[in-house]
This record gives sequence, C-alpha cells and structure tokens, in this order.
Amino acid sequence: MKHVGPYVFTVAKYVVLMLTAGYIALLLLFAGVSRKSFDEVSAAVSSAVDTNNLSGQDSQAFKRNFGLNSSEYSGVLYYASASGISAEEVLLIQVADSSQISQVTDALEEHVESRQQIFEGYAPEQARLLESARQSVRGSYIFFAVSENADRYMEAFAGSL
Amino acid sequence: MLFSSVTFLFFFLPVVLVLYYIIPAKGKNIVLLIASLVFYAWGEPVYVALLLLSVCLNYFCGREIQAGEDDPRRAKRSVIFAVVANILILGFFKYYGFLLDMLSELFSADIPYRVLPLPIGISFYTFQALSYVVDIYRKKVKAQNNILSFALYICMFPKLIAGPVVRYADFEQQLTERRFSVGRIGQGSRYFIIGLAKKAILANTAGAIFEQISAGPASSMSALTAWIGCISFAFQIYFDFSGYSDMAVGLGKMFGFEFRKNFDYPYTATSIADFWRRWHISLTNWFREYVYIPLGGNQCSPARNVLNIMIVWTLTGMWHGAAWNFIVWGVYYGIILVMEKYVWGVFLDEVPKVVARIYTGILVLVGWVFFFSPSLGYSVRYLMAMIGAGAGLADAQGGFLLITHWLLYLLAVLCSGTVGIRLFRGITGISSNRKVRAVTETAVYMIMFFISVAFLVTDTYNPFLYFRF
Repeated sequence: MKHVGPYVFTVAKYVVLMLTAGYIALLLLFAGVSRKSFDEVSAAVSSAVDTNNLSGQDSQAFKRNFGLNSSEYSGVLYYASASGISAEEVLLIQVADSSQISQVTDALEEHVESRQQIFEGYAPEQARLLESARQSVRGSYIFFAVSENADRYMEAFAGSL
Repeated sequence: MLFSSVTFLFFFLPVVLVLYYIIPAKGKNIVLLIASLVFYAWGEPVYVALLLLSVCLNYFCGREIQAGEDDPRRAKRSVIFAVVANILILGFFKYYGFLLDMLSELFSADIPYRVLPLPIGISFYTFQALSYVVDIYRKKVKAQNNILSFALYICMFPKLIAGPVVRYADFEQQLTERRFSVGRIGQGSRYFIIGLAKKAILANTAGAIFEQISAGPASSMSALTAWIGCISFAFQIYFDFSGYSDMAVGLGKMFGFEFRKNFDYPYTATSIADFWRRWHISLTNWFREYVYIPLGGNQCSPARNVLNIMIVWTLTGMWHGAAWNFIVWGVYYGIILVMEKYVWGVFLDEVPKVVARIYTGILVLVGWVFFFSPSLGYSVRYLMAMIGAGAGLADAQGGFLLITHWLLYLLAVLCSGTVGIRLFRGITGISSNRKVRAVTETAVYMIMFFISVAFLVTDTYNPFLYFRF
C-alpha cells in the first residue's frame, strides 16, 4: 500500500461515498420513522379491517391476551374475533420508548406459541393461520396480524406510514 | 451499552480487560477494535455500518491528502472534499429534519419526511475524523497507513460515544507505544470509580429532581422551585458529562492510553471565558483550532473578531442539537464572550473572586435554561418563574425538595470544586503509614463503587445526556 498512487485512494473514497449514500437511502426506506400520528396510522388500519369477523377490544382484553398494559404505550389498537374457535386478530402498538419494542415482540412470540398449543387440538386450521402470522416493526410502530387477510392489513399499515 | 450499566461493569469490561492482557502486544489493538465495535453494536447494531463507512471514507481521504502533499492544489481539493463529505453526513443525520421543518413553516407547507434516529456518537467521531484529515493537510501528522489502527483511533470505545474529542496527534504514538502496568490499571480504576459515582449517585439523583420539577408547567413554578430545578439540571449535566469523561479517561488508562481531561472544575470559573476553558475542553479546543483560528481568530480587526466569535458560538450551539433553543444558547454565550472581551472583562479582573464566581454562576444557570428547554417559549416562561413571575417566590414543593435533598446539594457543591477532592485525599491520606493509606484508599474506592452499583440497580435506564449530541 506504501507505494500506491493517490488515484487508488481517490477511487476508493468515491466508492465509499456512494456506498454511504446507498446505505442512507436503505435506512430511510426501511428504518425511517414516520411522523404520522397514531390516530392517522390506526385509522388507516381500521378502515382495512373486516369488522364482520373482528371487533375492537378494550385494554382488559389486550392485557389478558398479551400480558401487557396498554397505558404504558403511546397507542394500542386491538381487534380480535368474538368466536372462541377463531385465532384471527389484528394489533397495532405505538411504543413510547424504543426499549419497549423487545418487550412487545417477546410478548407476541409467547402469545402465538400459547395460542398454537390451544388451537392444535380442536381447530388445526387456526393453528396453521397462526404459523403464517404477519408481524412488522417500523420505527415506533409494531404491527401484528393473524388472518387470511393479514397481507392486506399489513399493506394498509405500511401504506399509512 | 452504557459504562454505568451492570452488563458493562460485570461482563463486558472484565472480559475485554482479560482478553486484552493475555493477548500478545501485536494483537492488542485488534482486541480493542473488536471490543469497540461490539460495544457500539450492542446499542446501535444498524449504525455500526455507518461508523465503519466513516472510518473507510476518512482513511482513504487521509491517504489521498498525504499522497498529494507535493501538489498543494490537489491536497487542498482533497481536504475540501473530506471536510464537505463529513459535514454533509453529519448534517444529514442531525439537521435535515430541522431544515425541512423550517422550510415547511417558511412556505406554510407540510413537507413529509422520514425521521432517522441520530446515530449515537456521530458528532464526536465525525469531529475526530475532521481533525485528522485537516491535520494531515496542515502536515501536522502523517496519514495512518494501517486501516485497523486508524479504525481504532476513531472507534475506541472509551471515547467513541461521548468524547473526549481526541486529536490524532495525541493518539498516534500510543497506537504503537504505550505503557502497561498494574499501577496504571489502578490509576485508571480510580478515575473510573470517581466517574461512576458522579454519574450514578450525583447526576442521576439531581436529574430525578429536575425531571420532577420540569414535568409541571413553568408558569406555575415558584422562584424557589425554578431555581432548584435549574441548579439540579446544572449539577446533573456536569456530573453526568464529567463523570462520563472521567470514566473514559480511566478506561483509557486501563488499556495504556492517556487522554486529556475534559473538565477542570468549570463551576469555579470567574468569567464565562474561564468557564469555557474548563467545560468540555476538547470541544472548545476543537472549535478554536479548526474554526476560530482559520477564520482569523483575534489576529484581525475587532469587528472581524466579533464576527468570528459569533460564528464559532453559533456553530457550537448547533453542534449540541438541531433546535432553536440550542442555537440561542450558543449565541447567548457568543454575546457574553464578546462583552467580556471588549466591554466589562477588565472589571471582572478587579472584583473579588467570589463576586466573579457569582456573576459567572448566574449567567451559566441562565444559559442552562435555554439548553434544557424544549422550546424558546418554555425558556422564557421558566426564566420569568425564576424571577418570581410564575407562582410567587416560594412554595411547598421547593421547600420540600430542599429539605429532603440537602445532602445531595451539599455533596454536589463540594464535588463541583476542589474542596471535595481535597477532603477525599484528606480522608484517604489520614495515616502517615503507607500501607494503612493504601488500605484506606482501597476501602473508600470500593465503598464508592458498591454504593454506585446499588444506585444503578435500583434505577431505570439512565443514559448519558451528551449521548443525544
């Protein structure tokens, strides 16, 4: 390297600069946080949810199913099926602090595992639905859906950011 | 990862120290570099890539400037490129949201944009990189040929997140020649424990008081409460940042490196100029060396000198954050420094030191109001409360906080000046017997360490304030 001319370093620095620009672009696309409020994002998700099968749930249902307190977060939107033989549900959470993200994702993982055990015995198609649950963390928003329409709900969520 | 976390104290640091000292000399830099990257990735896995890209960019820029040293125009183009690239990257992450918000307001539009979290430490490591490339151009140092050694200079974990901003000239020789001894590890441990105690015991407690007071509206504070809040913040930010710096210096010593001190009892200053010779010394020196002096410093007309001072202090304010209150804070100090230099500085030299310290203390406290306020409007309301225009002169809350935290304030006052360290040395050096002194000193430091850990385990997440910058 000692006897290498300056042109190698010139080329190298431009390459690194382009890589940095590309990296920043990727960050903006995938790690960028929307400035949209919880009300705006939740309204977009709610408008996509099939309310024939799902109904809005309160903080007690949220606590019962996920073991989390809704008051600790900036926003919680929870839809679940009233039927005992349906695993269908949609959840949107906006965390107040990034340190809460792992707490929520851990709770979601436990929730899915326990529901799978419950449904395996008497509603195996619901257990299979749980296997294809969709989950997304975008900035301070965490989205979770177990449904045949999970992809559509996810698109509504992503599009609202 | 925080220095003041159980994970760092009882897992990361012991493991890294053991590995560092069992590996032969040739491998020590690699161990330290890998440990630094793990340290950074622990809290910021996504932004490790940005850190490494910055290392590569500045490494190649430095080599290019060095290779073109016989062609001044080429070298100048290279250094301009390096400076602009670094500032653009730093500026993007720190200021693009602020700029877009400003434009939105200016044109009454709502320009949508995605917000990226600020990469931790970016202000510090970018400024180090800038000093490196400029010093190569000025022929004060040679470019580092070994990219791993250069990466260690930028990434070394004791100073990566919140400084001090170490110039390459002060670090270069230590990359290949440094002294290791049990004595230095002991010395480093002492610095580290003092820094930890400052952070865990003093800063966090003062910070909790400030949070409690600032949770309420400023207009409903009594003057007593407002002053207690402001003084609590002053103690919080000093012990937080100087504690971190002490830990960084101590960690450096443990690994054989010497860093310069970053604080020199700033609250004993007798003027604002003196205050800034004692507070965040590495940053002040950086701005003097790389902005003030190139602008002409004081080797120019008074009018130009005033402009230079205002530019430097506006930039200093901006460095601390992308918000108007930080810019106002910087401009505030710029104006006072100009006035001290050209108007009332001579009178300060004549008055008794205690008067000069009270003058400095009041101005610094007012400055902190701009610093901690979420908006300019809040800072005005807070300042009004401090002069009694809020909820009167005193109230039960202020009285209660003063009575229940008198020991904290006493300790904070003692430790802000040299009285604290002299008392400490008096206690540990009480016996004339060297062995007794050694045992006493060890016992005192161990007690401080365990009390600090006790404070930490009962506390919630307690990041360093200067991590935001």
